[in-house]
Amino acid sequence: MPFTPKKHRILSVKTINPEVKLFRVKSSMNPLPGKFFEVSILGVGECPLASCSYSKKYLDLLVKNAGGVTSKLSELGKNDILFIRGPYGKGFPLENLKGKNLILVAGGTGIAPITCLIEYIEKNRKDFGEVLIYFGFKNEEYILLKERIDKWSEEFKVTICLDNKTKKEKNNYKKGFVHEIMKSEKPSVKNLKDAFAFMCGPEIMMQAVSSELNKFGIKNNHIYWSMERRMECAFGSCGRCMIQDVYVCKDGPVFRYDIIKPKLENEEKSNKYGK
Amino acid sequence: MQKILSKDKLKEFLLDLARHSYLIIPVRDKITKFKLFEDEKDLDKLYLKDITLAPPKQFILPENEELFEFRGKSVKAFRNKKKNKRKTIIFGLRKCDLNSFLVLDKVMYDMNYRKRRENLILIGLHCENPDKYCFCNSMELDTEGTYDLFFYPDKNNYYISVGSKKGKRIVRNLKENKGREIKKEPINFKTLKNKDIEKDYGDKIWKRDADKCLSCAACTAYCPTCNCFDIKDTTEINLKDGKRIRNSASCQLKGFSQVAGGKIFRDTRLAKLKHFIYHKIVYYKRLHNKYMCVGCGRCLRVCPTRIDWVDTINLIKNTKKRKNKEGKK
Repeated sequence: MPFTPKKHRILSVKTINPEVKLFRVKSSMNPLPGKFFEVSILGVGECPLASCSYSKKYLDLLVKNAGGVTSKLSELGKNDILFIRGPYGKGFPLENLKGKNLILVAGGTGIAPITCLIEYIEKNRKDFGEVLIYFGFKNEEYILLKERIDKWSEEFKVTICLDNKTKKEKNNYKKGFVHEIMKSEKPSVKNLKDAFAFMCGPEIMMQAVSSELNKFGIKNNHIYWSMERRMECAFGSCGRCMIQDVYVCKDGPVFRYDIIKPKLENEEKSNKYGK
Repeated sequence: MQKILSKDKLKEFLLDLARHSYLIIPVRDKITKFKLFEDEKDLDKLYLKDITLAPPKQFILPENEELFEFRGKSVKAFRNKKKNKRKTIIFGLRKCDLNSFLVLDKVMYDMNYRKRRENLILIGLHCENPDKYCFCNSMELDTEGTYDLFFYPDKNNYYISVGSKKGKRIVRNLKENKGREIKKEPINFKTLKNKDIEKDYGDKIWKRDADKCLSCAACTAYCPTCNCFDIKDTTEINLKDGKRIRNSASCQLKGFSQVAGGKIFRDTRLAKLKHFIYHKIVYYKRLHNKYMCVGCGRCLRVCPTRIDWVDTINLIKNTKKRKNKEGKK
């Protein structure tokens, strides 16, 4: 039965900030980056979450307390039971990236699938060229997975952009949105036009970053978005995650920007007329 | 090969079917709908004049359906407890209804649905009195290959076409039609002239319909091919045991595309209404090479504000044609 989830035990819980917690769950599923799971608590419901680790031993779930299920989820602790089914969806297109330079952009909790991708790249470092990483957060308190970001900073070029930063704070973080930082400092990658960009975050941020990347000559078919929609069944049957004719759960959640752009624009136009 | 059944003997025939299987018949009971046959009184309500207002989808996509049970921390996969080999027979399906099952087959592929579908025998009935809302002839449907049995009414008899082995077994005792085979196609008063509406998504005329729309979701509830659903948990009073159930959902309601955090992706009536229409005519066609709409006209019939999207599409196309002509002059 596709609807029946499997039992998983929580190995550890880490509170990152009052809203966000990181759950480590025992699992050997080891999904490819970009895929997602339906995580559920019996009696409460299901929610789609991406794994933010690439490991055969465990599964990391970054949970922001935002809805019915996630608020209940954040009350759980070590050794509690979670129910998970998956993985679902198509992940990032890793096959055609051999030797290419990558630009990774993540905003807020959108860091989850990008983290998984970075860990994949770490394990298969030879297959990829230069990797440039941008993270966007609200302010210093909201920086997620800080230890991992510090670790990556040694190997990759990592830029952290904060929306709100006071002058008193002394650190290496940049002030401004990701696309603003890109505008002021051109991404330093060799052969920029041929680079691939992967991003996850609020749609408005991904839009701004994509149009900024277009200015550097990166075409839309080199840009990939990991998208969020309401996914109930996760295999293209319930119709809730449709963006025009594509199912985000089955055809995505990672989409090539040139494919998804006209569909989003169409819906956006009719979303402006009369509420 | 066709069989003959005299019209007086229809009730007898149905009673005989009900003895060996679950029989579902179209009845008039407040509204016209399909109903599970329980006793002979139901046959008095039998309604064969024209298409029923409610579609037959509730027997294959129940409004609420159990997916699995849970007791404390263990999940019990749902199994059909009653092991009966009784088939379910639906009698009196029109051309549009028959085709709606084929449409659903392509999007519903979980085991619950499959089991119910395999257990189903479909008996069609030719539509003699299509009303002003029917437009099935515009949707490129085919009756052949959709039914187990199909009834063509004539003056005194039903001429029954056989579509499958299951159907053949049901009518094995009936007289064979030795004359000419009778085949009919329903007549339509409404047509959807042009279904190539991909480029008209941004047309202003849609706003006229959206202004009238109440987002009441009647169109999706009565549509025989609308299958969208919601997955929910219900618990018993101890909060530990319960069921995960599947409810039918509607794209016309606001919460349909709402995600955690409150963002609604299809927020306005215009976006929701167009999503419904384009899903039926364009999106499904792109994926499965057939129309999701079967032209039964139920959405038009039940709409409280009389939104007629078929007319709207015709209007868009006519306006464009006229503009093109004027442009050439």
